[in-house]
Amino acid sequence: MSLGRLAWRNISGSSFRSAVVFLCALVVAGLALSTVLILRGARDSLRLAMDRLGADIIVVPQGSESKVESALLMGVPTSASMGRETVAKIAAIPGVAAVSPQLYLSSLSNASCCSVPEMLMVAYDPQTDFTLRPWLQKNLPGGLKLGEAIGGTYVFVPKGEQNIKLYGYFVTLKGNLEPTGTNLDRTMFFTFDTARDMARISQTLAEKPLAYTPNIISSVLVKVAPGENAHDVAVQIFKDVPGVTPIESPNLFLAFRKQITGLLGAMLAVLAITTVLSLVLVGLVFSMAANERRREMGVLRALGGTRNFVFRILLAEAALLALAGAVPGLLLAAFSVYLFRSLIVRSIGVPFLYPSPLALLALILGGVILALAGVTLAASLPAYRISRLDAAVAMRE
Amino acid sequence: MTIIKVAAVLIVVMALVIAIVPQFTDCQSQGRAIELANGKTVAMKCHWTATAELALAIPIAAVGILLGFSRRKESMRNLSILGIVLGAVAILVPTTLIGVCASPDMLCNSVMRPLLILMGVLLVVISVISLIASRRITEQPA
Repeated sequence: MSLGRLAWRNISGSSFRSAVVFLCALVVAGLALSTVLILRGARDSLRLAMDRLGADIIVVPQGSESKVESALLMGVPTSASMGRETVAKIAAIPGVAAVSPQLYLSSLSNASCCSVPEMLMVAYDPQTDFTLRPWLQKNLPGGLKLGEAIGGTYVFVPKGEQNIKLYGYFVTLKGNLEPTGTNLDRTMFFTFDTARDMARISQTLAEKPLAYTPNIISSVLVKVAPGENAHDVAVQIFKDVPGVTPIESPNLFLAFRKQITGLLGAMLAVLAITTVLSLVLVGLVFSMAANERRREMGVLRALGGTRNFVFRILLAEAALLALAGAVPGLLLAAFSVYLFRSLIVRSIGVPFLYPSPLALLALILGGVILALAGVTLAASLPAYRISRLDAAVAMRE
Repeated sequence: MTIIKVAAVLIVVMALVIAIVPQFTDCQSQGRAIELANGKTVAMKCHWTATAELALAIPIAAVGILLGFSRRKESMRNLSILGIVLGAVAILVPTTLIGVCASPDMLCNSVMRPLLILMGVLLVVISVISLIASRRITEQPA
């Protein structure tokens, strides 16, 4: 009989002990993967959102910093507004290479004039824009024309329709951006001309006219000239332009990052406590089993089994149970996090991006290795002790 | 035999989850309904999904109970196959057959739908395990 088969027979013979180790491996592996998926997803999501914005500094009206961040990340409608003359003032500051204004608008929910659920709409200036330009140059060399838009990955034309109706105005969706896991995935981008035209049409065809005022903007994206210090430029903007707050790119979504750090601490603490308790429990179970099975191991030794063989049988049992518990635990965790992702985003208050299939596979493999190492480590001390016992002593006791 | 007994208990627990949780996570339970032009209100489709799942939970619970008490290999096999079919239907009701509300912010979309899919998948997996286990057991005398 092979080592693996013998170990499997022993596992089948002791269902309670096996169930305890199986459950410990399942819980630890599942919890570890859930923690990693959520924290890594939140971090990736913020990084991608910052890359998407592509600016070194974002200038927003004073007092609306968190509102703008919440609008971009969580889709909370915002009414941040400032005069368009701010753009020229910022552009005149030394060290500024490019400036581009944006206006944040919101679609109507449950209205017959809108064919999509409530979403953030961003109007941009195609003449000065530098955030969408790389994507547009690659996918739509002609740029966006009047009545055209591009959307985040979850923006789509309703079934059976050819356009998206917003405020009674038909918008043609020309493409979708890559996912970020943030509300930018549910955001639609179009030019200021389209916003103006939509506002005109909404006066007669919408349940409520679009809140668009000419020469009003929500934010100014700033690109700093090469070699210039973004912090110095931001300080200069703060000094020279009244009524605005410049947010440097590394400080963007700071509140969300703090939330992630807090979450990280709490989740790691829970994970650490669970892991330690599980490993202690596994060690205890194996220790009890080792005492109960002294005679059995003594017989094995008397039949010619070496100390090493006895040690390896016990470790093989632990490894098989770890594997049997970790694999379903990891799959269940991955599947559950995927299914409940929108509930998780709402509960923890930070967006998160589910990893690619390849990254997920790597994480699952890592989880299997972790569970195998943990359980075999916890079982190794009792296994070593029983394997060192003299055969005659073990059989007599 | 132990695997079958554990599977039977888990199936009964899942039947309870499938029956109870949707009753508290559909839009009707949150006080939301579609208001018609004449002022009357109509339940949203997630309410009908919750009702259908309640009806579906009864045969699922019956499968679990019968599986726990059955001694014949053939009965276990047939009940396991029925469990697989019912698990698949539990997934299809909130996804294809009836569905839930479209808005991702609604509780039926963020809690009820994923929970029912998860329960359906677990029911299928546990029924498959019990089907495999039923092939290996030696029949006990009645």
